[in-house]
This record gives sequence, C-alpha cells and structure tokens, in this order.
Amino acid sequence: MRNLATTVSALCLSAGIAAAQTADVPDNLEKLSNFQMTGTTEFTYIDQTGNFADGIKKTLEGITLPDGFKIELYAIVPDARHMAVGPQGIVVFVGTRKDQVWAVTDRNKDRVADEVKNFAPSLQFAIPNGVCFSDDGFLYIAEQNRVLLFPAAEFFYESPDVAAFNLVAQGDLIPVEQESFNHTARVCDIGPDNKIYISLGQPFNVAPPENLDVNTRTGVGGIIRMNLDGTGREVYTYGVRNSVGHDHHPVTGELWFTDNQVDGMGDDIPPGELNRQTEAGQHFGHPWFGGGTTRTNEYAGQEVPVEVVHPAVETVAHAADLGMHFYTGGMFPAQYQNAIFSAQHGSWNRTTPVGARVMVTMIDDEGNATMEPFAEGWIDGNGEYLGRPVDVTQLRDGSLLVSDDLAGAIYRISYGQ
Amino acid sequence: MIRLTALALGEMILAGGAFAQGLPEGDRTAGRQLAGQCRTCHGLDGYARIPIAPHIGGEPAAYLAAQLTAFRDGTRTHEMMTVVAKSLTDDQIANLAAWYSGHTATATLTADPAEAPELCVACHGADGIALIPEAPNLAGETNIYIDTQLKAFRLGKRVNEIMQPIAAEMTDAEIRAAADWYADVGLVVEMVE
Repeated sequence: MRNLATTVSALCLSAGIAAAQTADVPDNLEKLSNFQMTGTTEFTYIDQTGNFADGIKKTLEGITLPDGFKIELYAIVPDARHMAVGPQGIVVFVGTRKDQVWAVTDRNKDRVADEVKNFAPSLQFAIPNGVCFSDDGFLYIAEQNRVLLFPAAEFFYESPDVAAFNLVAQGDLIPVEQESFNHTARVCDIGPDNKIYISLGQPFNVAPPENLDVNTRTGVGGIIRMNLDGTGREVYTYGVRNSVGHDHHPVTGELWFTDNQVDGMGDDIPPGELNRQTEAGQHFGHPWFGGGTTRTNEYAGQEVPVEVVHPAVETVAHAADLGMHFYTGGMFPAQYQNAIFSAQHGSWNRTTPVGARVMVTMIDDEGNATMEPFAEGWIDGNGEYLGRPVDVTQLRDGSLLVSDDLAGAIYRISYGQ
Repeated sequence: MIRLTALALGEMILAGGAFAQGLPEGDRTAGRQLAGQCRTCHGLDGYARIPIAPHIGGEPAAYLAAQLTAFRDGTRTHEMMTVVAKSLTDDQIANLAAWYSGHTATATLTADPAEAPELCVACHGADGIALIPEAPNLAGETNIYIDTQLKAFRLGKRVNEIMQPIAAEMTDAEIRAAADWYADVGLVVEMVE
C-alpha cells in the first residue's frame, strides 16, 4: 500500500522534477547505479521505545528553560548531528560523523517521531554531517569530500534506492591530501541568492603557514558557495578555523556563522565566535587571531596581512558553538522572532567543562548581538556530560528541534499548552 | 607473500618494542586521575564517545605509550591530541597507558573470519584484537576513523614503517572495505578499576 502511494507520489512529482532539473541540476548527472553500491538494500530501523528512551527522558527532566517552554524527546537517532527539515514537513534528515544519514518521520503528527531509518542504504557515505534543503525539495548532503543531491528526497526516501547526483564529485570538494577526520563535519545552507553555502573546516589547531595559499585558493578554513548546478564555485568567507554552523538572516540575508577557536592557550582564552558577514570575501582572522582579538602564539607579532572582521559575539572559551538557526516560527513569544538559537557542544579539554546547552542570541535594531543560555542542564554535578547538543532547527509548527550526538537523540522544544 | 612480509617487518619492530619495555612502570591509580582529561572523547573506560576518537580501552600498553609519545614529540599530529600530549611526562604517559590497557576489550565477530582483510589479520587479528603489542585493536572502530588513518599512512602524513608500505598498495575501495570489516565487529570494553 505504501509502495503504491510512493509510486503515485513519484509520478505526480516527475513533471515538477523534470522542470527543476533543467534549471538546477548539474550537467554531469550520474545515476545512482553509477555510485559504488554496497549491495545493502534493506533499511535499518531504530527502536524508539524502551530503557534507552526512558533514560533520555529522565535526563530531560533536569533541563531548565525559560518559563512556558518545555523540552521532550522527539526521536532516538544514533550519532545525530546536523538536521534538515523537508519543505513538505514530512521528514527530518539527520547527518552523522560516521556513515549514515537518518530519516526521521512523525507520521501521526503528534510531534514525536515514530519512524527512524537510514536514508539511501545502498549508498556508501563518509562523514555525511551536513544536510540542507532547497525550497523545491532537493536534499543536499555534504560529506568529507563530496556533495550529493537528491531530488524530491521527501518522497523517494521511502525506497532504499533513491535518485542521487553529484553536486561536487568525490575528491573535488577539498584537495585529497587535505582530507582528515577532524574538522571535517561540513554544514550547508541554501542562501537567499539560491546558492549553496558549504563550510570547510581546516584540519589543524592553528593553520600552518605552508597551507595558507591552498586554503585561500580552495576555501579550506572558510565557507564556499556555488550555484545549485555546481557551477560558479567561489570562496565566500576567509579566515575561518572550523565553522560547524551557519544560517542566513531571514530579513537582511546576511550570513551568520559560529566558529570554533584555538585550543591549548588556557582555560579561558581565546573566546569562541559568532560571526556576521556583511559582504562576500570578508576575512575573519584565522590563523593570525585564535578567537576574538586574541593573537595566536604561532603568528604572534606578525603583521596581519588582511583586514579582519571580528566576531559579533565572543562566546565562552572552548564551549564549542556549533549548529545555529534563525527563528522564524509563530509558536514562540514575539521577542524571539529572528533570534538565533544555537548549540554549544561542550568543551573537551577545559578543567571545568562548559557548554552542552542551547543558547539564544538577540539582535537589536542596530545589529548588536547578545547571547545567553536558553536550555541547559546536560552537565551533571560530577562534570560528566549527559548530552551534547549539536544543531538546532525548526519544525513547521514553530517548535525547535535540538540534536545530540552523545545521547544519540533529537529533542523538541515547544512553547505554551 | 604479503603476510610473510608483514611478519618479517613484525620481527624487525620487536627492536622498537624494546622502547616500550624501557618505559617506567605505570601507576593505574594516577592514570585514572589523569584520564579525566581524556574521558570526554575516549571515556574513562576507553570506549570512545565521539566518532573521531578511537576506542583505547584494553589496547596494548606499548601501542598507547608509543602514540602518546609520538603526539608529544610531533611525529604524529592531530588537532586535539597534539595539544593534550604536549605537556605529558614519560611517567604520565606510562600511567595513562597502564590505566587504559588494564581494561578488558572483547570483540564479537559474526562474519566469516576467512573473509577478513588478508593484509591486516597477521597483526590486527580477524576480529580486530591486536596480536602484537605494537598494533592497535581495530574492533568496533568507526569505519571512517580507520579509513582516514589508512589514507594518512598512504600519504605519509602518519608515519609507521609497517603501515606505510601496506597502505601504499591499497586502493580507496580496499581501504574502505578493510575499515568496514573492523567497524562491523562488536566491541565491549569492561572497565577494570
């Protein structure tokens, strides 16, 4: 029955897809069958109930939020990283730093997911962390060194074999010799200019001098953008250490992004960053600056050869600001309209851990931004993590989803009722 | 033939193993305390909490000590580990190696061992539990971790006289297949106080 429904949906869609493809899909189309197949055509389903889910619900009882808000378990999703909500509101796709992308469905719309299964099980992924949607329903998945696109993913995900195309072929996103496993969690977003923006973390604590040329040329240690047919690639943002969260302001269209800063300089410096980019090609200071206006030891005393844009908000050192989302929903009080909700993953080498919380940033009429905690309580009295938030996004009803890759879960934050 | 070569190389690095024997005796209690700065990524039991970190519980002490020393000396580099290892003394390295190697790692292989990657089994075992003290366990590691390490050996970004020539001959597909094999092995680490 479901198969029939899918087929019908697919048929209904095909006209629309054909139109979209002529406009926006790369010339060098490769069918799914041309990708390396693992032979796996069966889905893996994740159990949504039981002791594991109960344990997470217990943790959530200890999370504090402003009055009127509540947080609940939305889905069990192993290794949950960045999220993309389908424009039809049917599926939430969730990336990981492993080899799976999860498709999360709330079929009965009780705002708790009832099905979590892997997406495109016949495809082999490598760190498919970054997921994003275009308005016309194309899902983009940014991996370690490839970007794939999936037309009408919200419909085709019901089948193990989905139509998949290269936006950026394997090995073309970054130079192969720059591949690593750290700072390789890409994020992506489609901007108001209908281009895809992709973050490319650089793999070092402080970028070494011999890499600066290749970084400038390729956008490693920056954010690139390109047309949705893969043409017109350019480096949009320079001087970034490792950005794992960005979104475009719903009114101004400006790109805002978080950036993780240098380790090993002490517990309290340098600050993390929330940045605001007002025009193409701006430079945000790495490797001359290690975060905020703190100079790196490696480049201390050197004249900074570029004009640097310092952060809009200096965040707590080592808290690891990751995914972010501008709130545009109708559910939360008016003060939160166009505010940024962002996740702090939590520190890994600070004497006393900080972070592991959801932050909210208000931006006033003059563009001044102030950040404060919104949801916290994932660090217990022993300094142990009960969860580590990664990304924040928004459902169509105006509630927020928060992913957590330590617990392996997605939470939903709602207001009222 | 390749297995023979690997074994011959294994003999050669026994001399290198003498380095490990030259380490101070590790103090597990001190190691446990120091492991507070490892646990966010590796867990106190050495079962990794994030995919980019390997499981190190029950790993051979010689391997752990050699890697920490290499991170400290800069012969192996990693964005996080280089920072962490920079200030460790020989004693602290021995203590950490003693703490993490003292746990018990148990692998459960459900696939047919005959299909294990031929190039790897002499040192890493079919189930990913190391057969020589210089080699790490691979059981249950994230496939992308193993994949990335093999590619680093192939590029010469990670240095090891055994692994570099082996990785140099491997294609991307062979690397991923070996990574998938060991990632699919079940791993349980029992913490030993």
